Amino acid sequence: MRDCRGTLEQLPAYVDEALPPESRADVARHLSLCPGCRREEVAQRGASTILRQRAATLKAEHLPPGLRTRCQAAMSAKQPPSARRWLAVLVPAVLAAVLIVATAAALFRVATERSNTVLAAELTADHIKCFRLFASGKGKSADPAALESMLRVRYGWDVHVPPSSGAEALRLDGARRCSYAGGPMPHVMYQAHGQNVSLFILEGVTRPGADVTTLGHRARIWTRGGNTYVLVSSVAAGTLSDVVGYVQREAQ
Amino acid sequence: MLRRRVAADAARREALANDVLAFLEPLYSTALRLTRQPADAEDLVQDTYVKALRFADKFEPGTNLRAWLYTILHNTWRNRQRDVARAGVNVDSDVVEQEGTRPEGPLMFDTPERILLRASIDADLQAALDALPEVFRQAVWLRDVEEFTYAEIAEMLAIPPGTVMSRIARGRKLLFERLSHVEDAEAPRPELAGRRR
Repeated sequence: MRDCRGTLEQLPAYVDEALPPESRADVARHLSLCPGCRREEVAQRGASTILRQRAATLKAEHLPPGLRTRCQAAMSAKQPPSARRWLAVLVPAVLAAVLIVATAAALFRVATERSNTVLAAELTADHIKCFRLFASGKGKSADPAALESMLRVRYGWDVHVPPSSGAEALRLDGARRCSYAGGPMPHVMYQAHGQNVSLFILEGVTRPGADVTTLGHRARIWTRGGNTYVLVSSVAAGTLSDVVGYVQREAQ
Repeated sequence: MLRRRVAADAARREALANDVLAFLEPLYSTALRLTRQPADAEDLVQDTYVKALRFADKFEPGTNLRAWLYTILHNTWRNRQRDVARAGVNVDSDVVEQEGTRPEGPLMFDTPERILLRASIDADLQAALDALPEVFRQAVWLRDVEEFTYAEIAEMLAIPPGTVMSRIARGRKLLFERLSHVEDAEAPRPELAGRRR
């Protein structure tokens, strides 16, 4: 004869009819004699019945707009031919480069500060990945205040997001959380003259400014107010300088 | 030779992509009950698909694709929770595991049939699920809504089957108490009226 404890332990499986026959008979016998455990059985069965009855509705949440497209993009093995060839070459190259520089950085970390090239390569890889997977594709300018509040509420970052700017033909696309070797950081995404531009903000990091060309992209690194800023894009050098000037003015 | 293998891999990945994308809606619904925040749920689902593609080679054809995908989702969620916990924000602790029943007055259960007839059942049910401690909510959802087996759930949540069973038991009990302990089941519940979809 089973006691209450042993019965209660097996009750979920009993209700689900997932017990072998002899255990099942044991539990049934105990239940026929114990009102306390029977009440427990009513609750188990009740919750399970209600959930199963409503399962179809519970599982049919409306998808947020764009989620399906983004997941399809994330899963798609088929890229447009040119992009595929480009990616087939570039992505492994980027990964290999990041691996090499990251390994080198790990080896020499004690002796030297992580070099600007390492940082630039890492952020360029992120730039390529994020635009490939998460570009909004809306073609509309995003609201900087909404992005700032999202970064503050969700991740605790108090950063200024420079808005779109007509003079620099710069359009704010979105912002998200990314990670680099130093931890998570805000990643603000723009378009300038139809090209992807990324602004990374490394909070509490100061390092010497630099201009690095890596993996077919330019990265401009500068420090201001105790934070390091990195702009990454494949736009022309002149355009990049305009954008850098604009972001620096905005950050003041 | 290499080219043929690459082509075969690509074809396999594409087939896998089509198959896993068919689970997008239930996966998002699961993510939403996990995170309780649409933006977080969206992020979590997207990350899950990125990882599914990355781990495509690790999937053994013939095994349960849906369980594989849900395992990735829950692993991703656990890793995030860990990051959040490290950042000093308190998430569900083990103390919650000990939580059994809430001390309440005499147990007067409404019947499941009557509960299901309530006009506000879907809103009530969502609210009751969201009010459960996370570990119970996960276990009950995977069992009674997604109908995974105890063994599959144990793997998804990386816990022993016995713990799965006790979490389901506690979760179901809390849920049923919440749903049936309405002072007057027929009376309108203004705080939920706006939530019905």
